Amino acid sequence: MAVVSLTERYCVRDRKWLTIDEFLHGLAFSQILGPFSLNICTFVGYYLRGVIGGIIASVAFIFPSFCLISLLTWLYFRFHELSQLESALKGTNPVVIGIILVAVVSMRKSSVKGINGWVMALIAFAGAAFFSISSLTILMLAALWSFARAYYLREND
Amino acid sequence: MAGLAKLAWVFLKIGLIFFGGGYVLIPLLHRLMVDQYKWLTLREFMDGLALSQLTPGPIAILATFTGFRAGGFWGGLIATFFIFLPCTALMLFISSHYDKFRKMKLFRGTLDGVLPAVVGLVAAAAWNLGTSSLVGARDFMLLAVGFLILQFTRISPMFVILGAGAIGYFFRFT
Repeated sequence: MAVVSLTERYCVRDRKWLTIDEFLHGLAFSQILGPFSLNICTFVGYYLRGVIGGIIASVAFIFPSFCLISLLTWLYFRFHELSQLESALKGTNPVVIGIILVAVVSMRKSSVKGINGWVMALIAFAGAAFFSISSLTILMLAALWSFARAYYLREND
Repeated sequence: MAGLAKLAWVFLKIGLIFFGGGYVLIPLLHRLMVDQYKWLTLREFMDGLALSQLTPGPIAILATFTGFRAGGFWGGLIATFFIFLPCTALMLFISSHYDKFRKMKLFRGTLDGVLPAVVGLVAAAAWNLGTSSLVGARDFMLLAVGFLILQFTRISPMFVILGAGAIGYFFRFT
């Protein structure tokens, strides 16, 4: 999310390339598929320079991380049997789980609302944690359910 | 080493289904890479997650790590390209039909409706990874401290990971 606020500051406030409303719509679309940070870059790139601009923005955004992670991965698989590195990585393991939990808390705040939301979240959790149902199956069922629900709400509005 | 075509196909499929931000990738990749294709061990997967937090990119950069393991540098490049292809293509398509999509209530309603399930799945990933990799009071302490720092301060995950790594190194975790 840090990248999103950075993009907002640079493109909306400093450069005034697009308005805050347009940016927020882009952000809403960004949540459909894939990471927000990459999608918002694609959106701004498209907005400014069309398809080519979108592609350039997304490639340029991923490129530094790609280089860095490739280097780290290479080092990791070359040296991970060193006991010092192994100790360091053992220290990071619990924190990684902490990072996932922080994501859960913030996603919960923004997207789990009402009884329907809580029940869906709990069923998805129990299905994946205790019954080893695959994430894909759960996502598909959730999509079916929420489509039916959105359809019903629209017809009975 | 897995064939590059197979890598491309697997990551394209993953790219087509990661809804609701990057985190749903954790359960998806855990299942596919560790349990199904066995390209990574659980340890390597956890370490890859830690490394991915050292880059400014999205957590999906984990695909590069996995691809690299399965097929070397080219494997990493192909995995990265194919996992991001669907979302970038979709985003370009939506941006070019911006006005139409803004009005599609049913479509938006369905997508927003899936999000609670995504939250449940990500929580389950934390549960599954935690129960299979955390041992002893030391790990739970680190988990609690890391969580509190990340939740209540604005310190970047990168520094928290580096700090935890330094603790592991100096206290010689085994």
